[in-house]
Formats: sequence, C-alpha cells, structure tokens
Amino acid sequence: MSVLTAAPTEIYESGDSALRVVALAEASEDNWLTVHRLADWLESCGAEGLHGAVPTYDSVLVEFDPVLVSARQVRAFVKLGLLEMARSAGTAAAPREFDVPVVYGGEYGPDLEKVAEYQGISTAEVIRLHTEKTYTVRCLGAPAGSPMMDGPAFLKPVPRLKDPRLSVPAGAVAVAGRQAVIAPAVAPGGWCVIGQTPLTVLNIRREPLVPYKPGDILRFRRIEAGDFDSYAGKELEPTP
Amino acid sequence: MSGHILIQQPGNAVVTDLGRFRGPRFGLPVNGALDQYSARAANILAGNLDNDPLVEITALDFRMKAQSDILIAITGAPLTLTVGGRQCSQWEPVSVRAGETVAIRGINRGLRAYLAIHGSVEAPTLLGSCAPDTVVGFGLQLKEGATLLTRRSVGPVRQPYFDLPLFRLGLERPDMGQELMVDVTDGPDVAEFGDSAEVLFTSEYAVSGRSNHIGLRLGGELPERTSSGEVLSRGVPVGAVEVPSREELLVLHRGRGVTAGYPVLAVVTSNGLDVLAQARPGDKVRFRKTTVAEATSAHRRSRAQLETLRESVNTVFGLLGIGCRPQWQDLPVAACS
Repeated sequence: MSVLTAAPTEIYESGDSALRVVALAEASEDNWLTVHRLADWLESCGAEGLHGAVPTYDSVLVEFDPVLVSARQVRAFVKLGLLEMARSAGTAAAPREFDVPVVYGGEYGPDLEKVAEYQGISTAEVIRLHTEKTYTVRCLGAPAGSPMMDGPAFLKPVPRLKDPRLSVPAGAVAVAGRQAVIAPAVAPGGWCVIGQTPLTVLNIRREPLVPYKPGDILRFRRIEAGDFDSYAGKELEPTP
Repeated sequence: MSGHILIQQPGNAVVTDLGRFRGPRFGLPVNGALDQYSARAANILAGNLDNDPLVEITALDFRMKAQSDILIAITGAPLTLTVGGRQCSQWEPVSVRAGETVAIRGINRGLRAYLAIHGSVEAPTLLGSCAPDTVVGFGLQLKEGATLLTRRSVGPVRQPYFDLPLFRLGLERPDMGQELMVDVTDGPDVAEFGDSAEVLFTSEYAVSGRSNHIGLRLGGELPERTSSGEVLSRGVPVGAVEVPSREELLVLHRGRGVTAGYPVLAVVTSNGLDVLAQARPGDKVRFRKTTVAEATSAHRRSRAQLETLRESVNTVFGLLGIGCRPQWQDLPVAACS
C-alpha cells in the first residue's frame, strides 16, 4: 500500500455544466493518481447535482446540473476534495490482473506489417514488444469504455491511419502514438490494428459493462489463428 | 390500468429520456433527448416526471394507433398533428381515444419532435437510462408493427362543444428558424487559438448533412490552432467546439465520445445545445459569446418556466381528475407518524 499525496492542480471552466481539473506535477504518475483519486472522492460523496467525473491521464472532467449547483460551487467543492486528499494518506486498491489472448497479424491484425515497417523491425519483434510488458489501465475512453494504456516500448510513436476505418471489430487490439487499446465494441477507428482477442470485453447485460477499471493490469498473450474459435463466447475476466 | 400503442409508421423514432448521466464515468456518452427543453416540456404536459421515457421523432413522418384511451403531448419542431383525422395543437395535452390514429407530418423547420404519453412507456434500461447508445448497440428504435406499453390509461377528456381544444397552457415555445443564434462560453483551451478565436463570432456557419446526435459539422471560416503537438486524451464536455480538420468546425452533442485529444475552443451553453438539436442541414448558425454566470442564469430562467408549467398542469389535471402521481398530502396519516 503506497502513501499518496495530491499534485498541484488548475481548474478550468468548461461550459455551464462542467469543469476541467488538470494536475500539474512533473511526474505523470502523480498526475494520474491525483485525478483518479479526486474522481473517486467526487463519485463517493454523492453530492446533489454532481453527475460524475471522467478522469483520464492528467485531467478530470467534472459534470454537474447547472440548475442544482453552479460552476462556482462545484469549483469550491473540488478544492475541498483536493485538500482532503492532501491531508489524508490514501491507499490505492490492489489492482486485478487480466490475461488477454491475441491472434496477431493477417485478417486479425491488418496493420501489423505497416507498424513493423514503420518501426524498422520484424513483425515478430512487434509482437514480442507488445506481449513483453504489463499494461496499467489508465482510464476508460471512447468508444464504449475502451481500456486506454501506455503503449509498448517502440522506438517511435505510431502514426494514426490516414483514412480511419469506418468499422473496427470488437476485440481489436490496436496501438497509436504512445498508447495501446482494446476495442470493446464495433466502432470507427483510426488506430493501427495489430491483432484481435477472441474474448468478449463488453457485456451490456452486466454492470460494470467492462470488467477492468483504471489501475488494473492487462497482459497480452499470443495465440494461433486456429485457436481463435475455441475462445468463442468466453468473457474477459480477472485471473484468480 | 395500462394501455397499448401500435406503431404504424415509425419514421425515425426512438424511446429515450434525459440521458445516461452515470455513463461518462464508464466511457459511455450521456446521450438522451437532444432538445432537453422540449423533452421536459412534453413530459410535464403529459403529467409525467421530466426523466420518464418518451419518443424522440427525428425529421420523418410518424404514425401510431392508440389501442386504449391515452393522453399525449407533442413538443419540439413545428409539425402537423392530427388525431383521428382532427388537427390538434402541439405544446398542449391531447386526449386520444382507443382506435384513433395519431399522425405527425411535415417537420420542415426544426428537426426533432417529442411525444410523451401520460403514464410513460415501458423501455429497457442500461445504467439507469433507456436512452439509445448506437455504439454499444443499446436502445429501443421503433419498428413498424411494434407495440408500446403505456403504464397508465386515461379516459377521454374532450370539450363537449365542437371538440374545441381543451387546454391553453401557454408555454413559451422556442423559435425555430433557419438562422440560429447559439451562445457559447470560452473553452478551456481557447488560448491555443490566439487571436483567431474571434473568427468564431464574426463568421457564419452552415450545418453539414453529416451532422448527427454525436456532433454537428459546420462549414465556414475556421479559427486556427497556433500550438501544435499531440494532446493527451481528456474528458470533453457536451457542447465542446473543436477544429479537428481544415474543412469543418465540430460541435459535440450528447452522443459524443467521452474522451478526445483535440483542444476545446468554446463550449455551447445548455440552452444553446437545445437550439443546435433543432438545426437542419443547410441551416445557418452564428455564435455569440457569453459567460458561465450568464449562461447559468439563462438556463435557470428557462427551467423556471417549466416549473410554472408543471404547476398549471397539476392544477388543471387535478380539476379534470386526470391521475397525477400521489403527493405527500395523499399518504395515509400512519405513513407520516
């Protein structure tokens, strides 16, 4: 259990129904911890008029009903939360771990060769770098609660596709910039798809809709195309 | 007593509510009725709670048949409403008898109409809301021949003489023209656009046909970002005005992806989002700068009008014996002790 402190922050107006809180510490890890702790605090206090908080890497969007509370009141409330966090030595919840089987390349990962070529390495090396590290879920993003993660240790950031695809299948494993992601649902996308997991990530008949949350850890494991169907219908679940 | 409604011509209609407010935390957009004022007004006029499920009808003609006596209210874009062939008023409660057809035609100023039914309709929910989410494939899109279950039926309420309109509650209706004025406040990243940010207020923009519930695309003179470099993904508010390409301005609406990496130039006010919800392709949009304090006051004024309407509806429905929800005064004494 680590002892946490709050990073310095700045609060920006974002219309009549939202505020953006940005953490300004030098270390990105401190910023990430601060905005997620603040979001948890705001969610847990159940204040009337607060719709919720959307934390990402260094910022959190706080949404509210402007009839019940004003931007000024929410700003004061956020400052109170930050003070509370600075005073109390918080503890981080123990992360859960997820094992994600992936078929790389071919029809499952149409951009694998492009990524390899751009990095000047072999496709096997791209797969090795992608499966070698563990990934912390930084935040849940669009579309549909995608796990946004820091990407593999490539030499260069991966450019987005010039012509984004109109439809990327659910389970697509993709990289862009210095980030990595899994697509929980079919959606348009401009990231480079290097593989696909046969596991079901999104289940709208269950709450939460996706099994991981920020702070959890994912690992990718290579499987053969022939094994894809043997996972059909299975859901992504934390390893016991 | 519950009732049934048969959908005869669905056009483009969904069952929705005010939105999935818990969604953004989980990466789902808020969605819900795009014109929130009209949606709330429809529910209030039908004697419902503001957030009850109702039908959002976009652009196309719509027809349904009541299979029991019901009470409805239709708001939003101007249109021709007939019940059993008689022309009826929008923005007022309308009594419909079993067997009568409700027809909505000719939406050509404004884009979206709202149909609320007293007692509301049954719809599945996700994270506490029935609002459709096209990305995760959730929601009730109405199909020809589908049946909607209403939670309550209302006996016929009719003026005995000449079937004149019974109600005249006189709610202020939003203007809907082809030239829209939309209020915005400075966005958190306005500084990244330097002096060119002012272009937003001097230029006129045309609504593109590629606009939808996720966002509106507007053609016109564009402010230019003076900074460069990748921005970390951040939560973006509904109403965010962005310049993602050299061709168009993008204004995010209630179906927006919750996170994005473009700087936010300005944010459309809550009232301004209702105006944009009714923008048709080809309509002209101008932006006007306001402050968060002014935008909040303006929004609270429009919501206060809805509260006044609610009081009138409660009084009138009470006199007519239309089943309003029980109030605390109606509870048995024992329940209060």
